[in-house]
Amino acid sequence: MKSGITKRIFMALAASSALFAAQPAFAQGDDEIVIGGSIPLTGVFAFAGVAIEAGIQDYLKIVNEEGGIDGRQVRLAYEDTGYQVDQSVAVFNKLTSQNPNIRLYYGDSTGFSRTINPELERRGDIMMAGASFATEINDPENFSNQFIAGPDYTEMYSILLEYIAQETPGAKLVFVNSDTEFGRDPIESSTARAQELGLEVVEQIITPPGAVDVSTEVLKLRRAQPDYTIFHGYVLAPLPEFMTQAKQLGLETKFMGTFWSMDSSLWADVGDAADGFMGVMPYRYYYDEEEAPMLERIRQMRPDYQATGYMQGFLTAMLMTESVKRTLEAGEELTADNMKKALNSIEDFDTGGIVGVPISVPGNTVPVGRIYQYDAAEQRMEAVSDWINVQE
Amino acid sequence: MSDFLFFLEVSLAGLGSGALLSLTALAFVLIYKATRVINLAVSEILMMGGYFFFALAAGMSLSPWVALPLAIAGGGLIGAIVERGVIRRMLGESAISVFMVTVGLGSVLVGLVEFVWGTNPRTLPDFTGTAPVFIGQLYISRKIAIAFVVASLVIAIFLLLFRYWRGGVALRATATDQAAAYSCGINVPGVFSAAWIIGCATAAGAGILLGAIGGISPVMGAFGLSALVVVIVGGLDSVMGALVAGLLIGLVEAWAGTYLGGEYKLVSTFIILIVMLMVRPYGLFGTTEIERL
Repeated sequence: MKSGITKRIFMALAASSALFAAQPAFAQGDDEIVIGGSIPLTGVFAFAGVAIEAGIQDYLKIVNEEGGIDGRQVRLAYEDTGYQVDQSVAVFNKLTSQNPNIRLYYGDSTGFSRTINPELERRGDIMMAGASFATEINDPENFSNQFIAGPDYTEMYSILLEYIAQETPGAKLVFVNSDTEFGRDPIESSTARAQELGLEVVEQIITPPGAVDVSTEVLKLRRAQPDYTIFHGYVLAPLPEFMTQAKQLGLETKFMGTFWSMDSSLWADVGDAADGFMGVMPYRYYYDEEEAPMLERIRQMRPDYQATGYMQGFLTAMLMTESVKRTLEAGEELTADNMKKALNSIEDFDTGGIVGVPISVPGNTVPVGRIYQYDAAEQRMEAVSDWINVQE
Repeated sequence: MSDFLFFLEVSLAGLGSGALLSLTALAFVLIYKATRVINLAVSEILMMGGYFFFALAAGMSLSPWVALPLAIAGGGLIGAIVERGVIRRMLGESAISVFMVTVGLGSVLVGLVEFVWGTNPRTLPDFTGTAPVFIGQLYISRKIAIAFVVASLVIAIFLLLFRYWRGGVALRATATDQAAAYSCGINVPGVFSAAWIIGCATAAGAGILLGAIGGISPVMGAFGLSALVVVIVGGLDSVMGALVAGLLIGLVEAWAGTYLGGEYKLVSTFIILIVMLMVRPYGLFGTTEIERL
């Protein structure tokens, strides 16, 4: 039996399908501002990538509903990277060639931020931020077109250490870090900072990447008998097991972490072992009850809890669009230099409560954070300090 | 506490985590022994075991003691489906083709988990208890102690089955010579199915134990790669090798991590692997294969 679809009809269908698929590219306005994104929607960092993408999209929705920036709509063009640097670079190249209006970019890792930096410097037309809080990016000279929408990891440690020095002067500390670039980032600088604050780092424990069993590390912790144990370079595992075993051994150390370990939904399943876990958080939590009009708006847009990555994406989009707005208001071209200059002009900026104090961006970071503590009964992080600014 | 007691505690912890490696390695060995397929998807089936348990115990609020066998059976079911649906169709294909299919299967399972349960790491409901275990003055993590007992029991049972059970003997016969096994009336495809089902069920069980210690996430299958090192060191087709090499690597990792630093754990493991590949490429207890050229 002869097929009903001739070769000619098939070709016509294929051509019209291709045109339909390409429609967004043709429809793209010249004055549209595009934020490109190499975002990890799969792989080890997917839990954050999914939330970050939602946070960026929601802030852009708010901006666009209010008429855009100087009448220009803002759009996020992104693709999944699987948290692989080579894939992130490939996505960058693809998106920047497909979208000539990309002036801002969201990158997914320290590796990508470092790899793409020479290209950003060469192009000079894109300002970038991302999921990395690496200390090395906080270098306005060598990473002149990048910024971090929060404190870098060394600054996060400084916030923790200042809190500890205030609560328990002369406290004994143990640093527990994963044997990754992420984990090792703040060790050296923070050990020095601890000494300056009169704190003693009595042990440094390094765990292999992806470590599950931490029995031997807990034995080392018991020998050190610290007042505080600070984890860095982890999301969740192996923190709960560390804390469970330490409690079994009767250790009275207080456990702390940095931003990526601070999502309360991650701790909800852990139960009692999570009670009392503390850490540094650069943003407010979705459910914070202090006055925050922007949080209220987020809760109207999304009735369910949004993870910490969402807040990071949201604030990143806010700072990016504010920079564009200031650049356009000054009548300047949207180059990386001009946008970065506009970003650095942000002083005592009201984030609508996403951060609890007005923020400034003096260099490549927003060096502010607050200590929160997990309450297992309420399944929430509760603030236990004021906002701490570690700007030098 | 004296240094010697500390050393003993560290060694016990190493043996415990080594037992977990042995259990995972056993899944590789069972399948390889019968079918000569290196099933890299064991890592992801281990992950599926953890997620099945999570779905049943946390999602459906079943008792952990009901969820446990069901989750293990779920792992076995995946093994059965994969063997009948994919692997058996590839009989006669090159080993590398089958190997690549298992790599692809692993990716499919990770995607499935991310689709159904999302990408967040999760914690399994506790079913192991929290009271610490002390042997005299020596502390050992409760979960690690349980992992050690379970792995030792399971491996002992398998050793006995292979020696005395009819099906175990059939599996050994198939592993030795498939054609001869056929001619003796052994149901070789049935043996293949049984090996995949039992191997994947073992991996799922290891995944539940692993999840109880470190939680579950779509990337927890990376643990399976450590177990692959154990398999190579112990011998790809040796159940006893999986046990001995697992305990050995667990011990060496614990000593290296404690006395040299955590960054030397994996280094020490891979040094053992390299030395073993140079000196005894078929592993401590693996079958020595000699090819005439």
